[in-house]
Amino acid sequence: MSKEDESDDRGFKRDLLASLPNLRAFAVSLTGRHDKADDLVQDTIMKAWANQTSFTAGTNMRAWLFTILRNEFYSQMRKRGREVQDSDGLFSERFSVHPEQYGRLDLQDFRKALDKLPDDQREAIILVGAAGFAYEEAAAICGCAVGTIKSRVSRARARLQELLGVSGEGDYGPDAGDAAITSRAFGS
Amino acid sequence: MSDDNRKKEEMTAIQSQEVRPGAVPPNASISRKLRDFYDAVQEEGIPDRFLDLLERLEQAEKNAKPVNAK
Repeated sequence: MSKEDESDDRGFKRDLLASLPNLRAFAVSLTGRHDKADDLVQDTIMKAWANQTSFTAGTNMRAWLFTILRNEFYSQMRKRGREVQDSDGLFSERFSVHPEQYGRLDLQDFRKALDKLPDDQREAIILVGAAGFAYEEAAAICGCAVGTIKSRVSRARARLQELLGVSGEGDYGPDAGDAAITSRAFGS
Repeated sequence: MSDDNRKKEEMTAIQSQEVRPGAVPPNASISRKLRDFYDAVQEEGIPDRFLDLLERLEQAEKNAKPVNAK
């Protein structure tokens, strides 16, 4: 029995590690800052570890971790009161630190636009459009109806298009470097 | 050439999301930027602090467990 427990532990840690980069990207999306995101991820790891027994082996650990992180994020926000008024320009501030990495991808503008979305729309489009969850999974993570997620995603897309002035054609920036990066990102 | 590139990107975008066949997806560029942004963070990998933390949690758990007969 103790042997089984140990191998479960190892499986738990392995699966947790495998989910971490994605979880961390979600945290960065929610908080807009790497330092806050990493604190949030740390809290999530500790919560997840302490509640290992409540995780049903064989179910989706990634969705479980995302749910913990999201709950943690909102409960911390409630406790501290919203710092959002204060946080204008956080994305750009943070990303001026790595202009060589992000500026090249034209992502600063994108992050600023993302930051302007209401929280519920931002998390919906991130979960479905970037983190790789199905609408149903995103709905479970956010504790709302599938239809609600769908409408949030479509509103988020419309708002981002508006903010970024994307008309749907002619904005693909088809220079060679950009295209190479894009195909790499899609290929992964 | 740039036309080719654009076509390629459009096709990739079409494959990656459910879109009516033949239509240029208006969200292709948004979807791409969203993933570029997200992937950029993912590609940073796992910071050491989390590896250390998991190591410590694992160790603490081992120490806390009563030594049972094998």
